[in-house]
Amino acid sequence: MAALRAGEANLGTTIMAVEFDGGVVVGADSRTTTGSYIANRVTDKLTKVHEHIYCCRSGSAADTQAVADVVKYHLDMYSAQHGEAPTVKVAASLFQEICYQNKNNLSAGIIVAGWDARDGASVYNIPLGGSLHRETFAIGGSGSTYIYGYCDKVFRTGMSRDECVEFVKNSVSLAMTRDGSSGGVIRLAVITKAGVERIFVPGNMLPSQYLG
Amino acid sequence: MLSSITQAPVEAHSHNRWEPYVDNGGTSLAIAGADFVIIAADTRQSDGYSINTRYDPKAFELSNKTVIATTGYAADAKRLVEVMEQKAQSYFHKHERVMSTPAMAQLLSNTLYYKRFFPYYVFPILAGLDSQGKGAVFTYDPVGNMERTVYVACGSASALVQPFLDNQVGFANQRAADPNRLLDRETARKIAIDAFTGATERDIYTGDWLEIFTIDQTGVHREKRELKRD
Amino acid sequence: MAPLTEPSAGFKFDNVKRNQLLGDKGYKLPTATKTGTTIVGLIFKDGLILGADTRATAGPIVADKNCEKIHYLAPNMYCCGAGTAADTEFTTNMISSQLALHSLNTGREVRVVAAMTMLKQYLYKYHGHVGAALVLGGYDVTGPHLFTIYPHGSTDKLPYVTMGSGSLAAMSVFESRWRPGMSREEGIEVVKDAIEAGIFNDLGSGSNVDVCVITKGNAEYLRNYSTPNERVQKEQSYRFTPGTTEFYAPRVARQAQEPAEMDTSA
Repeated sequence: MAALRAGEANLGTTIMAVEFDGGVVVGADSRTTTGSYIANRVTDKLTKVHEHIYCCRSGSAADTQAVADVVKYHLDMYSAQHGEAPTVKVAASLFQEICYQNKNNLSAGIIVAGWDARDGASVYNIPLGGSLHRETFAIGGSGSTYIYGYCDKVFRTGMSRDECVEFVKNSVSLAMTRDGSSGGVIRLAVITKAGVERIFVPGNMLPSQYLG
Repeated sequence: MLSSITQAPVEAHSHNRWEPYVDNGGTSLAIAGADFVIIAADTRQSDGYSINTRYDPKAFELSNKTVIATTGYAADAKRLVEVMEQKAQSYFHKHERVMSTPAMAQLLSNTLYYKRFFPYYVFPILAGLDSQGKGAVFTYDPVGNMERTVYVACGSASALVQPFLDNQVGFANQRAADPNRLLDRETARKIAIDAFTGATERDIYTGDWLEIFTIDQTGVHREKRELKRD
Repeated sequence: MAPLTEPSAGFKFDNVKRNQLLGDKGYKLPTATKTGTTIVGLIFKDGLILGADTRATAGPIVADKNCEKIHYLAPNMYCCGAGTAADTEFTTNMISSQLALHSLNTGREVRVVAAMTMLKQYLYKYHGHVGAALVLGGYDVTGPHLFTIYPHGSTDKLPYVTMGSGSLAAMSVFESRWRPGMSREEGIEVVKDAIEAGIFNDLGSGSNVDVCVITKGNAEYLRNYSTPNERVQKEQSYRFTPGTTEFYAPRVARQAQEPAEMDTSA
C-alpha cells in the first residue's frame, strides 16, 4: 500500500458514519496537513457523490479527491442511463473496485454512507487494502484509533437520529483532542429519504470533555 | 490499518538523523592597505529559508589591534571567538602586553587544528597590522590551514565577491594596472560597501546590516550600515 | 529514407532508463529550478485579489530579481505559480490554450471550476512529478472563486489562501487581518502586506509585489504594485577606461562599405 509522499497534502483524519432507522449520520474533522503545517483548517471531507450518498475521505487528499470524482462521474452516468438513483451498495462497490485494483498506488481509506429505496440507510467501510465491509457504524482515519473503545462502549443499536448526531459529535471531538492530525471544526451530514441536512460545529462549540 | 498510512512520517530522513553542523550563511571580506586594513561582515544569521536574526555580529575585536570575522556554523563561530578572546586575555595578563596580529594569526591556526577530527565548522579571516605597521589579512580553512593575503572574501557570497575583489583590488584582467598597488583607505571602504550591496542583491543569505572595521595605528574603528532586508 | 512520422504529443520518457543508469553510476543529474515563492489570494466584496513576489532563485543565488509569477489563464482568470518554475509556466500556458479553445467551442466564458478540474486532473496524472503548486483565482457567471492546487492534484476552495515557501509568513497576515466583505483598497493592502511578510521573512522570496484584481467583467494586473527593495546608489563608478581588457595581437577588420544611397527624388 502506498505511503504518503513527501509534501503531499494529507487528510490525517477522523471520519465516522452511523446508521439509524431511516438514515445515516456522517461526520468528520476539518484538518488537512502538509507535514506539520495545517494547509486547510476548515476542510470538508464529506463529499457528495450522489443525491443521497456521501463519502468520508481519509489518507491522501489528491487520491481521495480523484477517486471520489471518478465515482461521482460513474454514478451520474448510472442514474442517467437507468432512470433511477444508484443504491449505496453500488456506490460502495465502485469505490471498492477502484481502491482494490489500484491498491499499490493509492492511499485512500473511505467510508461510504447514504440512503436508498432498496436497502434504506447503510454504511460501508473501505479500508486501505480495498476490502468492503458493511457495518452499522464505521470509524476511520488516524484519529479513529483513539476512540475504538469509546465507540464500542457507547454505541447502541436502535439509536434515534438525534442520539446518533450526539454520538458522532462526541466521538469525533474526543479523537480530535488526542490526534494531532485531526482538529478544527466538526462537519456533519444527516442523510435521510427526505434529503441531506448539513450540521456545522465550530471549534469553540465542541462538546465538553476533560482537556487535561 | 488506516493509521499506518496517516501516520507515515513526512521527510523522515531529514528529521531523524542528528546533524552536528549547520550552515548559517553570511559573508565576510578583508582588504589590506599600506598602513591600514579593512575587515567587514554582514549580520544576517539564517537557517534554510528562515532568518534566525537580522543582527548577529560576525566580526569581533580580539584586541585593540586585531579583528576576526567568521562565517559558516554560527554556534561553532561563537565558541571559537570565545576561546580566542580568553587566550588573548590570558596572554595579556601573563606578558603585560597585547598580542601582535601575526601571533594571534598563528594562535588561531593552532586553535583550529587542535580540533582536527571534530572541527569548528567555520571559515575565519583575521585582520590587523604586521610588525612593520602594514595591513595584514589572514585566511583559514576549518582545520587551520593559514595563508596571508592582501584581500579575501569568505562565506555564502564568496563566489560572487572574490572575483569582484580580484578585479578591483588585485587588478586582475586590467592591462595597464600594477597588480601590487595597494588601495587607499577611502577606495577600499567604497569597494567593501559595493561588494556587500552587490552580494545582497544576488545572494539570499547575505543582508540586513553591514559592519565595517578599519584598523590602523590609532586602533579599531567600527561603522554600521543598512543592507537590504529581503 | 526513413518515413516521416507525426511527433507524439505530451512528454517523452525515452531517456528515463538511460538517466537512471547514469544516476546509479554516480553522474550528477541536473536539477530543475525550484522557485522559493510567496503567492497569495483572497476574496473581497466585489471579487478577488491575487498577489506574488518577484524573486526567482537557483539554489542560494537570485536568478531573476523581477520575474512574473501571476500567469494569465483567461480574460476572467489568473493563476499564481510556485514550485518548479518550468512546470508552473508550461502547465498554465497549456491550460490557458485549452481554456481558449473551450470557450470558443461553447461560445461562453469559461468557469473557474473548469480550469481547476483541468489543472488537478493534469497534475494528478503525473503523481506530483510535475511540480506546480498553484493559486487559481477567477470571476465567472457564478461569482468569484479561489482555489489552491497542490502538485499531487488535490485542491482546496477557501476565502483566503497562500502558497510557496513564504506561505506561512503570508498566512500569518491573513489569519490576523482578513475578514468577510473587505473593500478593494483594504484587500489590496492586506495582499501587499502578506506578500511583503514573505519577501522580508522568507529567504526564498524577495524584491517586488505583483497584484492582480479580478472583479465582474474586469481583471486589472498591477505589475510591481509595491517596490520595497530598490537598490541603493553605488559608492563609486566602475567604468573601465577603453583598452583595459588584455589582448595578444591587434587585428583590424575593414567595415563593410554601406551601399550608396539610392536616388529617390525623381
